[in-house]
This record gives sequence, C-alpha cells and structure tokens, in this order.
Amino acid sequence: MRVLAVCGMGLGSSLVLKMNIEKIMEQEGIEGSVEVKDLSSIMGEQADYIFASEEIGAKIEHPAEVISVKNMTDKNEIKEKVLAAYKKL
Amino acid sequence: MILDLLKSQNIEVNVKAADWKEVVDKTGDLLLKSGQIEGKYIEAMKQSIIDNGPYVVIGEGIALLHARPEDGVNENCLSLITLKEPVEFGNKNNDPVKIAFAFGTVDNDKHVKTISELSVVLMEESAVDTIAEMGSAEEILEYIKNILEQQ
Repeated sequence: MRVLAVCGMGLGSSLVLKMNIEKIMEQEGIEGSVEVKDLSSIMGEQADYIFASEEIGAKIEHPAEVISVKNMTDKNEIKEKVLAAYKKL
Repeated sequence: MILDLLKSQNIEVNVKAADWKEVVDKTGDLLLKSGQIEGKYIEAMKQSIIDNGPYVVIGEGIALLHARPEDGVNENCLSLITLKEPVEFGNKNNDPVKIAFAFGTVDNDKHVKTISELSVVLMEESAVDTIAEMGSAEEILEYIKNILEQQ
C-alpha cells in the first residue's frame, strides 16, 4: 500500500501522520510505504491513498482517494482508517 | 533527539495567552531569546496558519507550530508552552489548545528524528492532559524521558 502523508509544508503534521501510519502498518503487517509531501508537490505522485488533515484534504486534487484524519495523535482513528483503506485495495 | 533540543529554558508552563497569535508569539519567543530563530520566523509561523488553516492543531489540545527552514532558522530547535487557559485556534475537531510546540529545522531532514520521538510521546494515552497539568519544565522532561525509555 503506497501512501502519501500531506500537509501545507511537508515538515510538521504530515511527518507526525507518517510516523503514526507507519507504526500501524508495521503492527498489522501491511507492506508498503508512507511518504511525506507538501500540497504543492503531490501532482504526478503515484499513490493508493493520500492521508491529510480535513483542512488540507479539502484542498487536494489527485486521482488517489483522500482520507482525512481528525486527530493525528489518535492511534484508534488512524488504525481504523489504515485498515479500512487496506481492505479496499 | 528530542531531549537534546527540548531544554528546560525552552519550556514554559502555565503561560497566559489571549488568542492563537499570542500562543505562537510566546512559543516562538523561547526560541528567539536563545538566538535559535530570527524574529521573522515567528511571523512566518503565523502566516502559515493564516494561509493553510488551523490544521497545526494536529491532535486534541496540541498545536505543532513551525515555518520553513528558509524563514529564519539558525539551528534545529524545539520549544514547548503549556497554557494556563486553553486557547481556540478555530480547529473544529481538536480545539481548544492546551499545549503548543514550536520547532525550527535547518533543512527538510534534520528534524525527522525529533518529530518521530514527539509523535511517540503524543500518541501516549492522555499525554496532552498530563503535560498540561504539570507544574515545571523538569517534570515534563522527566515524563517525556520515561515514555521514550519504554520504547
């Protein structure tokens, strides 16, 4: 599963999101990668899913499905969304 | 490493702030006083919230403030304030903010380890409320150290 974690600058919230998605993927034995991107550099990037905050998610135009995360430090929310995304692949 | 950057002089507890801009000012001031950032970096952190919205409130009660390396970062740095009264940032899911971190990074990679450790701390059950209620920088540093040692 190839995931982009996106925020305005690709430095802060997207990095927290990446760390937490990676942790869940590792725990659940999901193969794949999570890459951090800023809003301006996602065009042309291949991905199965894009994870971002609701505010940023609403600004994204990309063929991949955008999954918005409310609380980036909530293990349960991220786990639920990562597992649901993985099942749909 | 988070504890190499987050020194007790970069932490202030029970800070009063009237609005989100003051939260950014006060978290940024800790880095400005030590010469780790330039004054313009604080303005850039505010501008980023104006431009991109309050998604810097990454989790319930936590703001993670920053701008870009080219906005005036002298060295990699991290500061933390806990707020006496929680402050609204306009984030519908995670307001009000109880604790705010500000970081600066000299390039796009050097902060990765620090943010990774910070994620571990913030994922801990009720970490935000625990940190928000602590009375001193030393207590907070001890708490963070303990969480990281369990990893």
